[in-house]
Amino acid sequence: MKATYLLTTAAACAFAAWATGANAAAKWDGGDELATSPLACGAGTAAAEAPMKYDGGQPTNPPNKAGKEISLVDVPKLIGIGYFNATSKGIADAAKELGNVKAKTDGPTEAKIDEQIKFIDNYITSGVDGILFAANDPVAIAPVLKKALSKGIHVIGYDANSTPDAREWFVNQSPFNGIAKAMMDAMAKEIGEDGAFGIVTSTFTTPNQARWIAEMQAYAAKCHPKMQWLETVEAQEDNNLSFNQATTLINKYGDKLKGLFGMTSVATPAGAEAVTKAGLCGKVAEVGLATPNAMKPYVHSGCVKSVVLWNPIDLGYAASYVLRAVVDGKLKPGDASVEAGKLGKLNVINGSEILLGPPFIYDKDNIDKFDF
Amino acid sequence: MSLAIETPGRKLPRWVTRHETMLALILAIALLALGAFNDRFLTVDNLLNQGRLMTEIGLIALPMTFVIITGGIDLSVGAIVGLCAIMLGYSWKYFGFPLPLAILFALAVGGAAGLVNGLVITRIKVPPLIMTIATLALYRGLAEGVSQAHSVRNYPEWFYILGQGSVLGVPTQLVILIVLVVIAGVALDRTTFGRTLYAIGSNETAARFSALNVDRTKLVIYTLSGLASALAAVVLVSRVTTTRMDMGMGYELDVIAAVVLGGTSIFGGSGTIWGTVIGVAMIQLLKNGLALTGVKGDATIIVIGVALILSVLIASSMQRRRDQSA
Amino acid sequence: MSATAALGATSARGWTLRRFASQEALLAVAVIGLAVVVGFINPRFLAYRNLADVLLGNAYIGIAAVGMSMVIISGNIDISVGALIGVLATVSGSLAVAGAPIVVCWLAPLILGVAVMAAQGAVVAYLRIPAIVVTLGMMSILRGGLISVTGGKWITDLPDTFHLADLNVLGAPMPVVIMVVATAVAALWMRYSPRGRSIYATGGNAEAARLCGVNPQRTVVMVFALHGLFAGAATLVYATQLRVIQSTTPSGLELTIITATVVGGVSILGGVGTVIGATLAAILIAEITSALVFINISPYWTDAVRGALIIATVIADIMRRQRRAARGWKK
Repeated sequence: MKATYLLTTAAACAFAAWATGANAAAKWDGGDELATSPLACGAGTAAAEAPMKYDGGQPTNPPNKAGKEISLVDVPKLIGIGYFNATSKGIADAAKELGNVKAKTDGPTEAKIDEQIKFIDNYITSGVDGILFAANDPVAIAPVLKKALSKGIHVIGYDANSTPDAREWFVNQSPFNGIAKAMMDAMAKEIGEDGAFGIVTSTFTTPNQARWIAEMQAYAAKCHPKMQWLETVEAQEDNNLSFNQATTLINKYGDKLKGLFGMTSVATPAGAEAVTKAGLCGKVAEVGLATPNAMKPYVHSGCVKSVVLWNPIDLGYAASYVLRAVVDGKLKPGDASVEAGKLGKLNVINGSEILLGPPFIYDKDNIDKFDF
Repeated sequence: MSLAIETPGRKLPRWVTRHETMLALILAIALLALGAFNDRFLTVDNLLNQGRLMTEIGLIALPMTFVIITGGIDLSVGAIVGLCAIMLGYSWKYFGFPLPLAILFALAVGGAAGLVNGLVITRIKVPPLIMTIATLALYRGLAEGVSQAHSVRNYPEWFYILGQGSVLGVPTQLVILIVLVVIAGVALDRTTFGRTLYAIGSNETAARFSALNVDRTKLVIYTLSGLASALAAVVLVSRVTTTRMDMGMGYELDVIAAVVLGGTSIFGGSGTIWGTVIGVAMIQLLKNGLALTGVKGDATIIVIGVALILSVLIASSMQRRRDQSA
Repeated sequence: MSATAALGATSARGWTLRRFASQEALLAVAVIGLAVVVGFINPRFLAYRNLADVLLGNAYIGIAAVGMSMVIISGNIDISVGALIGVLATVSGSLAVAGAPIVVCWLAPLILGVAVMAAQGAVVAYLRIPAIVVTLGMMSILRGGLISVTGGKWITDLPDTFHLADLNVLGAPMPVVIMVVATAVAALWMRYSPRGRSIYATGGNAEAARLCGVNPQRTVVMVFALHGLFAGAATLVYATQLRVIQSTTPSGLELTIITATVVGGVSILGGVGTVIGATLAAILIAEITSALVFINISPYWTDAVRGALIIATVIADIMRRQRRAARGWKK
């Protein structure tokens, strides 16, 4: 018995040692393995891209409800976090403005794709006119969305895309490479061209985060080649865990660590708190995606110089308007732009994506104007 | 201790007050009520669809019933689902297995995972709750490590028939579930194996002294638990066309809730497959019916929680009343 | 086996001393040993700053593990504690934002925690529903209720005085103080007070306990109530550490707490184990999580390695207990 036990422990230690060495060559930075397209260095946004052919899916024989009242359901990744509260508010605001849209937000309490599929499935059965979604997984969500399309229900995505043929349009808050550029440039400005940084993300399987990290890597290699990536850690969507992980990174690298990226709206305030608690405000930069309210104390104390995001309320607002436009026949495959209420004209990119606009930077001059 | 005094009044036949019957009654009432509230609930289309969606939990609930009847528990089933899903994709894409072989490989991994649980529980005598909490962490971690957080997608079309197709109008996976339900029910009710399970659950020491091979039976049920989780994983991957390392997260609690709801006592010694089936169906249909009626997700899980406690309360008080009058 | 050892095995005090020495000692040795080993590989791990951070960041798990071990020793289990901590944190934060006096904000989670848990304990004890069912149902109710009531909104503008976890008591940080005090008080109470020992009796053999004059039902309610108190204390540390309170319940927290408890040597069969073991185990698990980052284990494998280590610890504990039981049979 003792021999078996010792053998198993030895095996476990060997396994741990192998796990350490095995992936030393590969970079476990949290990025996915898809192709990247970094933007040009320096100020200014990307040049206009060549228009792509429309590649979205289409509903089968949707009922003609142009001008009539429609009901839509919004199924975000999960409910109960500030970001999706904001998108939900945007959707509700647009519905009220339009007057003939009944909007409802419903979703799982945890970011699980299986739960999200079941929610969408139920709403297909109960017969809504339109579904707005932010996918937990782009491929896994496709079958149920295609089912919705086959039943004549309009499907519009926002925030987190699905495979293009599973939805009609996708409202893209900002292209992945645009976010990556904004984040890396902000970090480079704060810690210098040869600073070292760490990344706190949610999980390595969250598609958006993985895309952003991959694009950030590509952009950094192109425009900030001397900046050093140290490590990426996972922290789910949990406040305390993000805080602990950020603190661990600070302790592990000490003076070497000059900046921390927060890839979720949970990780960034937690990282800022870790920097504050370690007394390193001003010495370690925290740059990331976050909602304004959670960051106000840190921006005011000068610990965080800028918060990168887009306006999620506008994102939800645009999604509602896009759905209405599709139902009214004002947005058809092949169109190059769509009218979105107070947001004006939004352009179509990548075939079937509607661009909200460039990333929005919140800093101490404007952060108090927002409340979400 | 009561004297043999005849109580006046007609006694209800025993099977009426059985837990499973009560539960079936509650289920029928709930279905009719929800069906009255909206007309899309009690359609064949919807009910078959719900059958499709509840297959994964249903498959795992079958051996879980066996496990809980023996007084054990298996919390690692969700993690095994994740691990087998990853192994299915990984072996197909990186080892180059043809897909049928990859499926068998995934099943083998699940069985092995369950076997490991069983071996440690029977040989080293670690209590099932502790061992399976530990393997929950280990197997989930292995899934993440092996997959490096990458998904495997773009399977051949024929694979999707399992999770998204139908046989004579009935969803494919539901057919498999029904077949396995019948097999499990017969095994539990009519075979020595089944009776051994009840014996172990009622009094394990007595079972050992009765020359029943307790250890081998336990090995079998934990391995079956792993196999069922693997099968559920294959169905799930076929249904959502991709693999993710976090698949199956939280399944263990859903399965245990369904099994306990179905009348299986957590202390062991009693329970039926029929009850488990009702338990699984009840939770799925409740969630579906409430959603169709317009109740949102957060309120739905409150209702499920209350329903769970109430059903077990009603059932165990009926049980006590039956024991007292017996 | 020597004569003195044999004598020690049979005399009550010798037995208690050896049991105390071996169970918690193994964990203490593991905590220190791991720190030393990792310190060799990456000396920064041993920096005071880091060790303090590991303790501070995870103290709330240790505090909650104290209450959970009482529940498990009494022969029950609780799966709702994670959801409850989420709810209590939101209650406390909401009160603070609404302007209630800070002491009220700090007392509210304690009182509410006791109330909710005692209610569950009463259902378990008097309505005779298994604890796993009651707490499983309660977890759903609490999770759904929290989202329903808050609408998912985070609490972000907490007053500065709210942050209890930032205070110091005689130079020691508050979370550590609460953890140490909670563990010490609970350990002493469970060893030396009749009420405390009755928990072991109820968990070991409820019927025998009843025949000895212990009221199992009242004991169970008391245990759950105490568990609620410790959960409330854990919430105080958990909620006041950061400036944001999420309105979702921390996922997987209950499993972490239960893992800490069982790794700490509390037997799920009831009747055996100490709260000190549970706290040490919570510290060990937190230490392992941090250590894995320091020694550069690929982040894809950290969970697997941690799971393997937990299994190793559990198997070692069980085997040690079997060896001791076998030795006890010998004359």
